[in-house]
Amino acid sequence: MKLHEFVVRRLLLLIPVMIGVTILTFTISHLIPADAAAAQCGDKCGIVVGYTEDGDPISAYEANRERLGMNEPLIVQFWYYVNHLGEGDWGESSTYHRPVADVVKDAAPITLEMSFFALLIAYPLGITLGIISAVRQDRMFDHISRFFAIAFVSLPIFWFAMVLQLLFATQAPDSGVGGICDPIFGTDGGCFPIYGRHDPSLTYPEDGFASFYPAGGTGFHLIDSWFVTDGKLATLPTEFGSKWLLFKDTLMHLALPCACLGIASSGSLLRYMRASLLEVLHEDYVRTARAKGLSEFRVVIVHACRNALVPIVTILGFSIGGAIGGAVLTETIFAFNGMGRVAVKSIQYLDFPVIMGVTLITAAIFLLSNLIVDIMYAIIDPRVRLE
Amino acid sequence: MRGWDEGEEDRKESRRRLNEALSQSRKDISRSWRIYRRSLLAVVGLLMVFSVVTISILADKIAVEHPYRNLQDTENLWSIDYEPRRAHPFSEECDWHEQSISLTTQRRYGEMTVVAESDDKVGDDNRYYRDTLSVIELIHLEDNKGYELDTSLISIDPSNSSILVLSQELYDNMSLTTIWLTYEFDNEDMHIWWMPEGYQRCIFGTNDQGQDMFSKVLYGSRVSLKIGITVAMLTVTIGTIVGSVSGYFGGRVDEVIMRICDVFFAIPGLILAMAFVTAMSAMTSLTMPMWLGILIPILVLYAAFRSYLTSTVAGGQLSDRVMGSLMRNRNIFLGLFLFIFFIGGLPGASWPDLFGISDSRGWRIGAATGIILLLGAIGLADMRFIENTSFDGVEERVRKSLDWTNPWRYLTLRTVAVFAAAVVLYRFSGSTGDEIVVIKDFDRLWKIQAALIFTGWPGYARLIRGQVLYVKEMTFVEAARSVGAPSGRIMFRHILPNAWAPLLVAFTLDIGGTILSASGLSFIGLGAAPGTAEWGILVSESRRYFVFDPHLMLFPGLAIAATTLGFNLLGDGIRDVVDPKNRR
Repeated sequence: MKLHEFVVRRLLLLIPVMIGVTILTFTISHLIPADAAAAQCGDKCGIVVGYTEDGDPISAYEANRERLGMNEPLIVQFWYYVNHLGEGDWGESSTYHRPVADVVKDAAPITLEMSFFALLIAYPLGITLGIISAVRQDRMFDHISRFFAIAFVSLPIFWFAMVLQLLFATQAPDSGVGGICDPIFGTDGGCFPIYGRHDPSLTYPEDGFASFYPAGGTGFHLIDSWFVTDGKLATLPTEFGSKWLLFKDTLMHLALPCACLGIASSGSLLRYMRASLLEVLHEDYVRTARAKGLSEFRVVIVHACRNALVPIVTILGFSIGGAIGGAVLTETIFAFNGMGRVAVKSIQYLDFPVIMGVTLITAAIFLLSNLIVDIMYAIIDPRVRLE
Repeated sequence: MRGWDEGEEDRKESRRRLNEALSQSRKDISRSWRIYRRSLLAVVGLLMVFSVVTISILADKIAVEHPYRNLQDTENLWSIDYEPRRAHPFSEECDWHEQSISLTTQRRYGEMTVVAESDDKVGDDNRYYRDTLSVIELIHLEDNKGYELDTSLISIDPSNSSILVLSQELYDNMSLTTIWLTYEFDNEDMHIWWMPEGYQRCIFGTNDQGQDMFSKVLYGSRVSLKIGITVAMLTVTIGTIVGSVSGYFGGRVDEVIMRICDVFFAIPGLILAMAFVTAMSAMTSLTMPMWLGILIPILVLYAAFRSYLTSTVAGGQLSDRVMGSLMRNRNIFLGLFLFIFFIGGLPGASWPDLFGISDSRGWRIGAATGIILLLGAIGLADMRFIENTSFDGVEERVRKSLDWTNPWRYLTLRTVAVFAAAVVLYRFSGSTGDEIVVIKDFDRLWKIQAALIFTGWPGYARLIRGQVLYVKEMTFVEAARSVGAPSGRIMFRHILPNAWAPLLVAFTLDIGGTILSASGLSFIGLGAAPGTAEWGILVSESRRYFVFDPHLMLFPGLAIAATTLGFNLLGDGIRDVVDPKNRR
């Protein structure tokens, strides 16, 4: 089978899964015992907004029910939802008072940026330690790094984030607790800031906040802060006098959450890499390479690692999913308005359209990244038959 | 027939076999233990798990005080205003108590003495009572405006340390109405029996409510272990059934189940669990509609009787070749109907919401009957099925099949057992009307568990499916199939016992993972109720103060990490044991 046929087939296979995701989230979000119609009109639900043909009064609540299609059977509601989705209408959020598509468009880049840098930390860390661990099998380093790998997997990520905040970001006045690198950098209250990040979601037109980002920015903070226009810079507080300072500030804000997510997910990578490399080290071609008299470094890095890394690629898809899942807790603690926090907020405030939107987008990201990983796998490993 | 005393040889033989089996299993266990103890980490993990389990069992004995409210008994109120707020670990303040003394009342009754008492506590009989405290030292005295007064204005009665004597100066100072006295008292309740004399302190500090963190963390282990083990067991059960069906039957069943699993994998588990917990927030008890209670046994019977019917009525095993399209695809129809029934049976989405049809009981029963008839029709009324069936001697075969001595009679027994179980479940569950109560008190604990089961089973299904696909190709399965063993028997007697090893590992690892996810859910505020002794809740409640009082989050977080780490290390050790490479 040709590669493009494989891609098309896999893309077609995604359709039933996406339909399934839609059905599942729609069912669950409509099982939630809350009244979206009552939530929209609040204490004005009793106000009469019109009359039926028979002269009976229609309250604001009933009008809302009618407008939201809540009087229809569930299947009909689902049909309406899918139709609107097809037209690009994701519905209107009742907590953010904005179209869901806008909420998701603002939130998705934040999570993606954070997950990307988290994996950028996790992969080199996990792979390097995994290689050393496998080479020094059953020695002290191996035991210690394996212990830490399991310990990182076992860490509750919300707690780990709080510990990082305590160590690196906060300095309690008078108590001398926390902020261990405070004296080194001489910054006020720890090395890394944990609040005060400039957020594109502050650009709500009705909120009257000054927009710190160029209109129509990408939403990825690092990119936006690098390509910030001079006009925008002029409106910023003086500590962000140049785009370099703004960029540095954004980087500092990203450091702790990414480190938290990255370290937490590097544990499993270390274990995979170690197992995979150990398997490869017993292969014949490694023995051949050794017999040729190559240096041990060359044998491990060039001959063994290239093959040991192939299975690691497959985990990439799942690590992206795991990072987005971990983002729910990390974003809640670091107050990033990414998809995880939006999901938590929308579930707490029973905002159905946002729940649906966020779930669909996360599922789509996960499925697409898995597809890309599968294609990469097929390209890297000639043994994989496309079927 | 031989008498009961003539079977001596048989009994000897059976005893010998039993002993052999026992010694074999002893040998297995000792060999497994030898492999297990090779790894120091695994032994440490076993010790950690063992100590957590011991602590959770003995929490009542070790704990200093009862946690204010735990998930098991929410009615048991306990005095919370007993100790100073947010005391640090090992601090002196743990033995301090602040008591208000109303000088106005004292003057009215002309009394110069005050009894040192604890705040109101609620006893077992729900009445308020106060403990008399024995005062050791006066720490601090202030008036009701917060101005500090000299502690020498009050003295301790030398003959009775529970009696505080007001000085004449204090008594006569009419500008003071209420004073607040802080004193150190001999805290017998807070004395930890296993600590040496003189260390009568709260070793983990107290939280913002003045509750002892040590006791809370101890009791938290009960909740976490309960959630972890319950969820892991139920997910293993569901995942095993679904996964083995998927792997064994293959084809379209497999395809459908795997796509459903893909759907679950695509959504982050935490978000799905959060939404599911919220969806269940209004439920007070888990009930099953009556039609589902009828349908499940009938489906079980349908599955069990299919081979029974074909061998008696149709006169031999039917191959797929002779079946029509309906009959061949019956599993898909079955799955479709099951899905519709499942959606309809979910609480909240009752029939009128879904189809806009009346909710009457008669309609439900009618619909259930109709679908059952439809299923029967698919199974039986397929034209080619009838055409290829020989009806010669059907009566003879049916009579034989109902004969008690028929080898198939266990099916009859099973039928009776299933219906008896359904009746017993219905009678004793406190069910009313057309609902069967499955879990009577569906509290927040159960909601977390249900959500984690709901999101967790696809992982197991996929794991078991892979194992079954692997074992299915082995010769002994083929042998079992060739002697005509039914599918269920092959699956549960031949395949699953040979696929349990990765399952055990996944089960152990999953207990740790579940404890992590449950505490994450509680941390967000969608898990256990606020104020409960649950580790995630404790960390979440510490968020306001953790900069100043890191001990509030340190201990519960370490407890989560240590428990999860223990189970993960244990799982790793078990993986080494069951790894065929290590079977030497």
